[in-house]
Amino acid sequence: MIDKNPLSPHIQIYNWHISSLISISHRITGILNIIIITLICFWMAFLFLGHTNYELIYKFFGTHFGKFFIVSIVWSFSFQILSEIRHIFWDLGLGFELKTSNITGLLVIFGSFFLTIFIFILGRSLF
Amino acid sequence: MINATKKWIFLKISSVILVPLMLWFLFNLVYFYDKSYDEVFLFFTSQPTKFLFSLFIVFAYFYSALSISEVFEDYIKNEKLKNVANKSLYLFAITIPILTLLLLFKLSL
Repeated sequence: MIDKNPLSPHIQIYNWHISSLISISHRITGILNIIIITLICFWMAFLFLGHTNYELIYKFFGTHFGKFFIVSIVWSFSFQILSEIRHIFWDLGLGFELKTSNITGLLVIFGSFFLTIFIFILGRSLF
Repeated sequence: MINATKKWIFLKISSVILVPLMLWFLFNLVYFYDKSYDEVFLFFTSQPTKFLFSLFIVFAYFYSALSISEVFEDYIKNEKLKNVANKSLYLFAITIPILTLLLLFKLSL
């Protein structure tokens, strides 16, 4: 039997728009985030291995790459949060107009950077 | 109700729950990532962190499994391959959180 279930549109042949950029980024960050969460689980497992083994993690986060890794994690989650909020508004039937969709798309892109900075400032000073 | 509708409802409910949990985790992550073993240990083993982190892990894997299976649905044409990919994904999304939660509760003993 021929499978008539259509696959996703060919992203290579369409012109890029803000909405398509956000859509593909939402999926990529979604996959990245599950990898990140798995790494966080391994990080927590390192606690189980004791003080000496945890030194490896402690030293890693002290490096520039370690700090860049944390900033990337926060950005990836921030993007996903804002993009998901955009999706929730769509599910409520709001923000479908082309102009609104483009504005909210830009808000997701730039907002993810602002949210990353905001989380760092507040997270480092609040606790 | 068809399966796709159920899946969509579960996806939306988990995303609404996950957004505040992600924010909570990120604020804490930027605080504790470069802290010593004792401070990180205390973070993971004290309440309400233990409860919130458990919720975060469960909902994060639940949400991710549902959303990644949508990606498989959109991009994998071969039905057998799609089934294997979905089953592997669900197995992974069940095993890792269970092991993590077991470790977390063992750590607190």
